Amino acid sequence: MNENQRVQQVLSGNSSAFAYFVEAYQDMAITIAHGICGNMQDAEDVVQESFVKAYRNLRSFRSDSKFSTWLYRIVYNTAITHSKTQMWIGSRETVVEEASQVADNALEINMDEMERKEIVSEVMQRMPKGDALLLTLYYLEDNPVKEIAKITGLNEPNVKVKLFRARKLFKEMVVSNYGIQITGS
Amino acid sequence: MIIMLETYNQHKEDEQMRKILSSTKINASENLKYRIMRQIETENALVPKKGKPIKESGNVLKEMGSLFGTMYAVLAAMIAGVYFLFGKEFLLSPQFIGTVILIASVFSLLWLISRLDSYLKEKKRIH
Repeated sequence: MNENQRVQQVLSGNSSAFAYFVEAYQDMAITIAHGICGNMQDAEDVVQESFVKAYRNLRSFRSDSKFSTWLYRIVYNTAITHSKTQMWIGSRETVVEEASQVADNALEINMDEMERKEIVSEVMQRMPKGDALLLTLYYLEDNPVKEIAKITGLNEPNVKVKLFRARKLFKEMVVSNYGIQITGS
Repeated sequence: MIIMLETYNQHKEDEQMRKILSSTKINASENLKYRIMRQIETENALVPKKGKPIKESGNVLKEMGSLFGTMYAVLAAMIAGVYFLFGKEFLLSPQFIGTVILIASVFSLLWLISRLDSYLKEKKRIH
C-alpha cells in the first residue's frame, strides 16, 4: 500500500491508519524540530503539534508532492513559531571567522564511532541553525534541493548557495575546534 | 574530463558527509507516537459526527408530486362526474370554474405551508 492510499484511508475515517505516518517520520521530524528549538522537550511538543496539524489538514495535502516534504514544512513552521527563532539571521560571520583561522592546519584522522558522533553533534549544535538544518535535510533524508526549497520556503539557487556554505562551514568548524578532518572509519 | 572528475569528487564528498552526519539523527522517545495518536483519537471523539445530509431536492419533488398529483386526481374525478351528471355546458359555467380555482388554491396553499414548514425545520437544524 502506498502513501497516497494510506492518506485516503485516513480521510475515509480510519484515524488509526495515521499511525503509519507517525511511525515513519517521527525521527526525522524530531531531528528537525530539535535543530530549531534546541531542546528535546520543546522538540517533542512541536512534533506532536505538527502531526496533529497534519492530521487535521490532511485534506489539503496534494498527492502530487511527497508526504514527507509536506509534513516537514509543517514541522519547520511550527518549530519556528514555537521557538520564535529567526532561521536565516544569525552569528554566522563570527563562526566562520573563528573556523577559517585554523582550517588550513588540518590533519586527517580516522577515529572511533563514539568520538566522531560526539564531535559531529557538537559541531552541528554550534553551527547556525539554518545551516545545520540544511545539512540535516540534505544528507540525512536525501532530500533534493527542490524539496528542501519547499520545506524551508527558500528558492532553489538560495538553497544551493547556503548548502555549499554550510558544508564548507561544517568542515572548517570540525578542523578549527578539533584540529582534525573527520573521515569515515 | 575535468567536469566528470569534479562530479566524482563531489559525489564522494557527499557520501562521506552522509556517513558522518548519519549519527546526528535523533530517535523519538517511545511514548511520542502514543501521545500523538492519543491526541488525535481524543480530538476525533470530541468532534460531533455529521449525519447523512437529507436530500432536499428529492424530497421537494416527491412532496410536490404527491400533493399536486392528488389535486389533479380530484379535479379529474370532479370533471368526469360533472360531465356525466350535468353535461358539457356545466363544465364551462362560472360556478364550476370557480370551484376548480378554489380547489387549486386550497392545494397550492397546502403546498406553501408544507414548504414553509420544511424551511423552518431546516433552519432550526442548522442552528
